[in-house]
Amino acid sequence: MSVWFKLALLSAWSRRLAVGLVVASLGLACALVLTVQQLRTDSRQSFSQAVSGVDLIVGPRGSATEILLYSVFQLGRPTANMSAKVLPELRALPLVRWAVPIQLGDSYQGFPVWGTEAEFFQRFQVHGQALGFKEGQAFDSNGLYQVVLGAEVARRLNHKLGDALVVTHGSGQALDKSHDDAPFTLVGILQPTGGSVDRAVLVSVSSYEALHHGWGVGEFQGLRLGSFSGAGQKPSFKDLQPREYTAVLVGLHSRAQVFSARRAIEQLPGAPLTAVLPGVALDDLWRSLSLVEDTLLIIGFAVATTGMLSVVAVMLVALGARRRELSILRALGASPSAVFGLLYLEAVVLGLAGLLLGFALQQAGLFLASAWLRESFGLSVSLGLPSAQGLMMLAGLLLGVFVAAFIPALRAYRLSLADGLNPAQLH
Amino acid sequence: MTPALDLEDLHVGWPGQDPLFALAGLRLEKGQSLFISGSSGSGKTSLLSVLCGVLVAKKGRCQVLGHDFSALAATSRDRIRGESMGILFQQFNLLGFMSALDNVLMPARLFDRRNQDACRLHGSALNQAHSLLEQLGVAPQLWGLASHQLSVGQQQRVAAARAFMGEPLLVLADEPTSALDDLHRDRFLELLASVGGQAGASLVVVSHDQRLAERFDQHLVLGRSAVASE
Repeated sequence: MSVWFKLALLSAWSRRLAVGLVVASLGLACALVLTVQQLRTDSRQSFSQAVSGVDLIVGPRGSATEILLYSVFQLGRPTANMSAKVLPELRALPLVRWAVPIQLGDSYQGFPVWGTEAEFFQRFQVHGQALGFKEGQAFDSNGLYQVVLGAEVARRLNHKLGDALVVTHGSGQALDKSHDDAPFTLVGILQPTGGSVDRAVLVSVSSYEALHHGWGVGEFQGLRLGSFSGAGQKPSFKDLQPREYTAVLVGLHSRAQVFSARRAIEQLPGAPLTAVLPGVALDDLWRSLSLVEDTLLIIGFAVATTGMLSVVAVMLVALGARRRELSILRALGASPSAVFGLLYLEAVVLGLAGLLLGFALQQAGLFLASAWLRESFGLSVSLGLPSAQGLMMLAGLLLGVFVAAFIPALRAYRLSLADGLNPAQLH
Repeated sequence: MTPALDLEDLHVGWPGQDPLFALAGLRLEKGQSLFISGSSGSGKTSLLSVLCGVLVAKKGRCQVLGHDFSALAATSRDRIRGESMGILFQQFNLLGFMSALDNVLMPARLFDRRNQDACRLHGSALNQAHSLLEQLGVAPQLWGLASHQLSVGQQQRVAAARAFMGEPLLVLADEPTSALDDLHRDRFLELLASVGGQAGASLVVVSHDQRLAERFDQHLVLGRSAVASE
């Protein structure tokens, strides 16, 4: 067998240019399929990882998917906020164990600013893991002038504990340490989680209000200034009581009561609310995206099939010129089955080389694109061995290779039977 | 002693077609040589295909090296060909993706029996390959070249060396000289005969060129009814 294997390799090597191009095209096709699959799995994973530990997300009456997207993933913008009075009402509900508000809408150096309470750090989980501090700690209960950074923000902006940050409403500018106009102090840096909180700049709700009270920037659409006025002046704590929340994260005593809790929340008197079950909303989201995903996957498979067919086509074309080679092998004692095996081996080796190349290309591509995917979409891609589904897909492609390899092999078998030792074209 | 060939009432033709000819009887002793001639289309190549086991006779007895080829399965005939026969075509004999020397070594690499016989008589397959190439006048500097770098005459000599590699019992050659000019043709046939004689292999050569016949022990002329003569 090893002699035949060597023969197959030598023969393929002698045609390395054509063979190389075919392998490359198959590799690209496989890379495409694998990448689509990987992104599909990883986006699902990244999304579902970002919301563990939270039973309900409460927002103003509206689309569950939208609330989920803007509250947890910072995708899109809230169309309306809720009155801050909602929070004590929610906390008063008997089914509710905890409720943590979130305010969104501002960014610091391109990273979203989350206004929340210190309790957030105990409640919010990513991938089932509670948030941990790499350095420092959470801000104080009202936490004025204190800021906590997600792992990626700290890394990208190269901030260290104790740094002074000038977080302003609008696009925050880089800090000037000598600036004494109410800079924030960095009190904590979170452990990396792989979730959207890695990109968050976390401040207390009071601080968030303070931003809106115009340190450095005068106007804010939709802000009710109340009694406070005057930019550049330090507001008192009383002025900084939040008036609005973007969303409230809610934890229940028992997950089994999630539907009763949702009903109770949505029936609260006052402003109408929507309570979102993250899992259900995600399922809805995936269902609405599945058409796009499936289309991409089908395109990927079509491209992979094209790649395999091109291997087959190139081998079939080459067979015409290789009939003499086959008849020499027959003369040397090779049976038609051995000729079949030789061609089958060659096709399989080419196919496998294409698959391996595809896998390598996919890994390299994802590796190169991972920073961009994380920054642009908050999507963390996993390198290394593919997921169970990815492995299934590889197995499917592998099966395709083994099936497609039959075509040139069968053709060679029939040719060598018909030709005997005398290829027709040479007579 | 088993004859190399023992044919009787042999009807030869391709599947689905009428027999090209019928051969009343032919017996070739071990170590003897046979020349087969006939006009184009008389079935020379078909007969050779039957003798090497690629084609089965439509009717009659076909004993090759003691094996009944009419009764054996195709894979057994393929194995006997690989283990005990050397085949030489008109031209394009060599696998283009390996060197001349590797081509010569192929029979020993593919079949254990060929390798064992080469080792038994020459120490190693490589030794025999070198000695065959030398006998056939292929200069050592050509051994590492690929076939397309060799002249047609050089290719035929390398192919002949391969046919005799590992002590085959029967060497079949189909128009081995028709791609060569007269001078090379005579020289090549001499070499073929002398190498074959030393190895004790039976030699069957097919050609339309009657002038070659005198060098062979037997001469078979193919026509409507084939006649064998001593």
